Amino acid sequence: MNFKGYRRKDGSIGIRNKTLIIAVDECCDGIARNISEKVKDSVVLTNSYTCMLGGNEETFNQMIAVGQNPNVGGVLVIAMGCGSILPEQIAEPIAKIGKPVDILTCQKNGGTRKTIETGILKLKEISEEINKTPREDVSIAELIVGVKCGGSDTSSGMASNPSAGNAIDKLIDAGGIGIGGELFELQGCQENLRRRAVSEEVFNKIDSLIEAEKSRWSVEGTNVETMSIGNSVGGLTTIEEKSLGALYKMGTKPIKDILEINKDFIDKPKESGFYLSETTMLCGGAGVNFASLGAQMVLWTSGAAGFNNPIIPVIRISGNEDLFNDDMDIDARGIMNGLDTVDNVGNNIIRKIVEVANGEKTQLEDLGSSTLTLYQKDQRLEKLLGGCKNR
Amino acid sequence: MNRFSKKDEKDNVATALVDLGKNKTAHIYLSNGEHLTNIYSNEMIPHGNKIALNDINNGDKIYKYGEVIGVCTEDIKKGDLVHVHNVKSLTVDIPKEFKKEIMRQIKIIQEEGEANEL
Repeated sequence: MNFKGYRRKDGSIGIRNKTLIIAVDECCDGIARNISEKVKDSVVLTNSYTCMLGGNEETFNQMIAVGQNPNVGGVLVIAMGCGSILPEQIAEPIAKIGKPVDILTCQKNGGTRKTIETGILKLKEISEEINKTPREDVSIAELIVGVKCGGSDTSSGMASNPSAGNAIDKLIDAGGIGIGGELFELQGCQENLRRRAVSEEVFNKIDSLIEAEKSRWSVEGTNVETMSIGNSVGGLTTIEEKSLGALYKMGTKPIKDILEINKDFIDKPKESGFYLSETTMLCGGAGVNFASLGAQMVLWTSGAAGFNNPIIPVIRISGNEDLFNDDMDIDARGIMNGLDTVDNVGNNIIRKIVEVANGEKTQLEDLGSSTLTLYQKDQRLEKLLGGCKNR
Repeated sequence: MNRFSKKDEKDNVATALVDLGKNKTAHIYLSNGEHLTNIYSNEMIPHGNKIALNDINNGDKIYKYGEVIGVCTEDIKKGDLVHVHNVKSLTVDIPKEFKKEIMRQIKIIQEEGEANEL
């Protein structure tokens, strides 16, 4: 199966041709949004953790990695000018892989009004350049697809998650790559993961990262929900049951590796197969995590809710009879009453993946996007917890 | 049809895809759509909850998806509701007071279900 994609200079394939404005500090967020309003297909990614670099390296690394995502054709990096993250530091590694990149600093450019004006001109120039990128026929083996759940209920473990897993398996059979995450929600799945990991070494790495995530979210004296009362009244008895239902969306293929996202580096998948990752369970942040791992698309399973991302399109799958609505791209309801099969819905997902890769919009594309949250691990908490390897 | 789903051969529970009243027949189906067996319910099983496919003894493991989802904490009869009142997690169990509240809400659903039957 083939689709028409944008081949980037580094060889990666984009399924969208966006321009990205990276606001390296929160003070230039408004400037970035004013520029974006005037340039079609542009997206704003803002660092909202202040303008300091120290302690925010994971965010810094993600800003670069999102700029390098194949769905991004070109980038404008802007800064207020008084912070410690220089736009050049972000722009350079993105330019290095062959993308048109420009920078703009408000203080040096005569203030907010002038910077908006100049920014619009600069971004339009980048946009014109990337619009010349031809679309070429490529195989779906070029696709890297993230898989995540949210708004889960009983139908998730029975219908939408197994269907997504079925599609991920088929994508990998065709030479593609699948990436899962949400390590906190893999508690109780270790035996299953041990069987799936390609080696003892990979399993140990997975296990230690799950334990690290567990320690971050289970600090004594703080209330963190692993299961809501609503989850249980809906029929989920233990965290194992919830986690195993969630694991279904990750298919059945061997786990090649676990991709780390941290203050020192961001891993990238290297060859066809399934990967776990440190992608957060929090939806907005997960979209950015997946984009920084190089994914071009996300499968999102739900009871019913509308998670969306403006850089990497999200295909939403639900099997909830009561809450299904036109936010959903894939209807898995038939599985619940025996009128449809997981295999058939899996095939529908694969067809949808190819259509969306080909440029067809998802149900919510360009409509009601989630915030591009730059989620990062708090370095102070990492230090206090000690157990999280220097991270 | 009162459809229940058994996800794996190993499983000793099946999940209700409908609200099933007390003393009713649960039709147990496998993932491939094959009808496996029928079981009588000893109590109302609300949608999304699990029914025991056979007697399960205190200390036995509960299997769903072919994996262990917890351990039985009091003897369960075939046809009983399998939930937080008779199963605990082997990883992080739900605190007692939360379990109480969950079962209080489940009881209300069960009673309403049975009232509607009449």
